[in-house]
Amino acid sequence: MESRLCSVFLAAALLSGCSWFHRGDRKPAPVTVEEPQAEPTIVEPQVTRRVVKTPKVKARDFEIGAYFGAISIQDFGVNPLYGVRAAYHVTEDFFLEGFLARAKAGQSSLEEVFPDITVLSNSGRQFTYYDLDVGYNFLPGEVFLGRGRAFNTALYVVAGMGDVKFADQDQFALNFGVGTRILITDWLAMHLDVRDHVFESSLFGVDKNVHNVEGTLSLTTWF
Amino acid sequence: MRRLLALILLLQAFHLGVAEAKKRPLLQLVVTAPYVEMHSGPGRGFPVVHVVGRDETLTVLFSRTDWYKVRAPLGAVGWVRRDDLTLHTELPTGEPAPIPPYPEFATHRWEVGAGYGVYNRQNLVTAYADYSLTESLDAEAVVEQALGTLDNRIIATIGMRHTFIPEWKWFSPTAGIGGGYQHIVDKVPPAPLESNNEMAYASLGVRGFITRRFMWRADWRYYVVFNHLNVYEDLEEWKVGFAVFF
Repeated sequence: MESRLCSVFLAAALLSGCSWFHRGDRKPAPVTVEEPQAEPTIVEPQVTRRVVKTPKVKARDFEIGAYFGAISIQDFGVNPLYGVRAAYHVTEDFFLEGFLARAKAGQSSLEEVFPDITVLSNSGRQFTYYDLDVGYNFLPGEVFLGRGRAFNTALYVVAGMGDVKFADQDQFALNFGVGTRILITDWLAMHLDVRDHVFESSLFGVDKNVHNVEGTLSLTTWF
Repeated sequence: MRRLLALILLLQAFHLGVAEAKKRPLLQLVVTAPYVEMHSGPGRGFPVVHVVGRDETLTVLFSRTDWYKVRAPLGAVGWVRRDDLTLHTELPTGEPAPIPPYPEFATHRWEVGAGYGVYNRQNLVTAYADYSLTESLDAEAVVEQALGTLDNRIIATIGMRHTFIPEWKWFSPTAGIGGGYQHIVDKVPPAPLESNNEMAYASLGVRGFITRRFMWRADWRYYVVFNHLNVYEDLEEWKVGFAVFF
């Protein structure tokens, strides 16, 4: 026990001796005399320059969406229709709009009465169109839901032209119509449209203008 | 078509997500006029529902055509006309309000338009995009579909167009040259001997400003069709259309 204590003290003494020797090696800190400068230095600004970035205002003039409805293909019954539409609103009055849609024609009266007669092939029954239109918001306004809710609306007219592919042939078609738009939120709108596509057809032997009236419901988003 | 519909709905859902997720800093403007009127909708006929007084701050949410949706200091939301923001507000730092002006018609960069025409006595649906290289020289690309009784054609051309007097705003003559391609889809037999041709054209036209971003154009083009049939073929085209410029 005693010898252990002794060894501990001896170790402690050795360690302290080492540190003492070490202290003896240390050089005294050099004393430097700073020379006074000729002119006082200009104070460097420690302020970082603030970057001012003006936020940009987002323009929501484009509208894109999808629609479905029914189209009455002249002589071929009323058929379901699906399509997409995109618009650019130029002013509060005018907009430019494009449509692309497809329907499938049903049976004509002739085919129903005489089932052996086939007027159109299966691919010929595809009714596909694109339209480029100009629209005019001629009755803008608001509608109200209860006391506290108002939605902006517009009754508009559109007219334009495009291509109808029916009976495996592309035809030049004019279209015109009327629609109403309700803005549910700032970026979501609902449309109800009625448009007529007119083109010349000689499917039943005589040249005539056929009218294909469609009624559709659209959901569009603004961005 | 079903896939397309699903894609559109997906995009709409994505748009909703993005709109909610992104909280961008909004532009703040201080009113300098005695007051600025806020309408209930983005149109001249919508009633004034709120008024913001001098030195009050407006928060601009977004714009639609010529109208800006703003929030008043106490939370009222309404639509302010573009001119009111440009003339009667400024930044809190005192600088002019950063409401972009309309592009100058004489120096605009881009034009996108569509129109109706007659191509080789066929009805023509045309769409084009045009980029101004200088004030009077433009590069343009046109895609057209001609729909006739005997055949249908798809025409694509690129070319250069020179505007003679660009400072004439309402009516300015133009001339151009270019080349392109036509694809003929036969409707009534006999089928054409060549259904794809290269073409070159020279054009004369007029263009004019209507209002804001709207303009009109009318063009006449003379096409020379290159074929291997030992027959010289030329075509004429007339068209008129509207365009939007940026």
